[in-house]
Amino acid sequence: MSASIEKGINAFKRQVDSSVAAFFSSCVHCGLCSEACLFYTETGDPKRTPINKTEPLRRIWKSEFTLMGRLGKMVGLTKKVDDALLEEWQELVYDSCTLCGRCSMVCPVGNDIALMIRKTREGMAAAGQAPEGLIGATNRSVTIGSPMGVRWPALRAQIKHVEEDTGLKIPVDVEDVEYMLLLSSMEIMNFPEFIEAVAKIFAKAGVTWTISSEAFEATNSGIQIGVSDIAAELVQRIVDVADKLRVKTVISPECGHAYMAIRWDGPNLVGKPFNFKVRHILEVLDELRKDGRLKLSGKESQKLTYHDPCQISRRGGVIDEPRKLIDMFAEDFVEMPDGGKMNWCCGAGGGVSANERADEIRLKVFDRKKAQLEEIRPDGIISACSNCRIHLEDGLEEHNMDIPLLSLTETIAEHLAED
Amino acid sequence: MKKDLLLKDGNPQQGNPLGGTLGESLRSQGVSRRSFMKFCATTASMMALPPSMIPMIANALENARRPSVIWLSFQECTGCTESLTRAHTSTVESLIFDAISLDYHHTLQAASGHAAEAAREVAMEENFGNYLLVVDGSIPLDNPGYSTIAGISNLDMLTESAKGAAAIVAVGTCATYGGIPHANPNPTGAVSVKDIIKDKPIINVPGCPPIPVVITGVLAHYLTFGAIPELDHIGRPKVFYGQSIHDRCYRRPFYDKGQFAETFDDEGAKKGWCLYKLGCKGPTTYNACATTKWNNGTSFPIESGHPCIGCSEPDFWDGGGFYKALSLPTEDLSKTAVYAAAGAAAAGVAVSALNRGKKNASNKIHIKTTIDDLTQE
Repeated sequence: MSASIEKGINAFKRQVDSSVAAFFSSCVHCGLCSEACLFYTETGDPKRTPINKTEPLRRIWKSEFTLMGRLGKMVGLTKKVDDALLEEWQELVYDSCTLCGRCSMVCPVGNDIALMIRKTREGMAAAGQAPEGLIGATNRSVTIGSPMGVRWPALRAQIKHVEEDTGLKIPVDVEDVEYMLLLSSMEIMNFPEFIEAVAKIFAKAGVTWTISSEAFEATNSGIQIGVSDIAAELVQRIVDVADKLRVKTVISPECGHAYMAIRWDGPNLVGKPFNFKVRHILEVLDELRKDGRLKLSGKESQKLTYHDPCQISRRGGVIDEPRKLIDMFAEDFVEMPDGGKMNWCCGAGGGVSANERADEIRLKVFDRKKAQLEEIRPDGIISACSNCRIHLEDGLEEHNMDIPLLSLTETIAEHLAED
Repeated sequence: MKKDLLLKDGNPQQGNPLGGTLGESLRSQGVSRRSFMKFCATTASMMALPPSMIPMIANALENARRPSVIWLSFQECTGCTESLTRAHTSTVESLIFDAISLDYHHTLQAASGHAAEAAREVAMEENFGNYLLVVDGSIPLDNPGYSTIAGISNLDMLTESAKGAAAIVAVGTCATYGGIPHANPNPTGAVSVKDIIKDKPIINVPGCPPIPVVITGVLAHYLTFGAIPELDHIGRPKVFYGQSIHDRCYRRPFYDKGQFAETFDDEGAKKGWCLYKLGCKGPTTYNACATTKWNNGTSFPIESGHPCIGCSEPDFWDGGGFYKALSLPTEDLSKTAVYAAAGAAAAGVAVSALNRGKKNASNKIHIKTTIDDLTQE
């Protein structure tokens, strides 16, 4: 049975639970979420108010699960959810939302609006109203194992390069180690330096680790497109391998949604607790720092700032760790305005960057980040998400701004103290 | 004879208490003029009276006949008496004690049984219309048998003793507002003095217990002016209960700066920051703790690192947790909400059953979405 409006409506119904009902009933239409949303503030278009993006889900909740809605439906007053509505909302639900969660932070009645939009995507996808780009990425994730179509031989080749460059052995499919490192396709294809950095740091710290040839991909297109069945399948691949190799901890790499997919959504998606811990690479590095196993030398004198990836800082709580790590090598660190848990999104997370149709708007909403960067004028921007990094580079190039983007893990590796 | 019933430092008191004036009594006990005047000055400043009132206080006290005081204890823990006796000899408090004729007090009198009750009856008869009645403890109304003294129920003893009283001083939160016996669910049907006595002036001196000098200060005021002090809307003397603990708290600057202790062992607690978030009831509590302090002016609870529990306010026991910040709701559900919830629950069960059915149905017809579903057009 392929995607259809009936299937979509059924998917919407499945998404209505006690929290959704409570959220919709308690919304006071104050509009505060609009001012928290990049896509509203940079376009000024009221249809991009976060709560408005959940309209299809709200209509299903109202017409199917409330008394007034049911009465209204009987006399034909309740607004319907049909293909035309969903087609109109595609641009709002997918192109104009990075699931950054800033709206959830400001909602005075505590509604998790980002979660509601994520749930709205479930109905949209089931109704066949997901963007082409995301469907393609999801398809590649399921059939090939990576949204960018990266297969094991490609990674094996990159690993070989890294081994030649560093003289270090990259452990593959090793059992009973402490850590299993996941990677995002973006890192494999664009930033193989990340693998090199982790290898150097772990070698110095004496950490046992491995990469799996079967499940190395950290990203989860199922989360972005909004199909829990597929998201669960992708998480299950990692769980199976981690259990097989009996690793103690799975490391999520420098990628935002990958972290929330495996750490927070993961156990819920597969329906049972993991037998291993999940940590973000920054959490692991900060642990090593605390244990005195991460020693750096030399300081960066240039002015550096940190861009908090939404899913890692705001939604993930990894806020202090990067700052403590940066403090180890940065002499002149300046906080981004609103840095930390209220940091403004770069504008390309949550599947927006995989959706070509959203290219124009994601560069438009970069204006916010541009204004912030013009205010603090850093010599370099550190981040911990390859997707943020690529998009920030795009945006800076668009405006002829020349500020290099740095990976935190890679910068730490460059400063490793020689024995 | 009656005075022999009372012990003072282990010795029976001497002399005829009802015969002499306060001045005579004090001098016979070796209190110098100087220390007497010092006491008058302290009393004046404590009650915010102008210095010109000091001679008047002295004159009034010196020539006042030592009034008879009957102290009744009902449903209470004796904490109020304990507080009062923490007033040591040679302090303001003991002066006052030498200055009144305490004719009946369970805890302090030596006599027991019929002799004790006889003392009360004699004092009431001889001083009818002039004695001061002090009450601590609440009065149970559900069943008179819950608390009796010499076979007399608290209610009967109070109404009988109140008849000839010039005024009544309710000491402690139990006597003033029902206190802990009155706390929800109030198993004995406890009420305060003012709930029963309607035709006498009543001074409420709440606190659990009240500050010793506040108790004696009120008595001194009565002796000096022969009238009750100015009271606030719930019957408390404004001189002692006119300002909130919060307004006079030495930690107030931290509140204003937003610096709070979050736990009892964090940095903020060690630095002496505001205890508001740890449940301090200072902002809603009116008492003299922050200025008069306890144990001869040594300190008060907040100074010792513990938030104010609001013990001088009505129903302080039912004000939510002691460690819950004032801004948090005090109850999980108010009664109204319970009734409303019960009503809504019935309707809700029906609706939710319907909704659950709908959701189960949607789960049932859900077929796992695969990538083929997405890519097929």
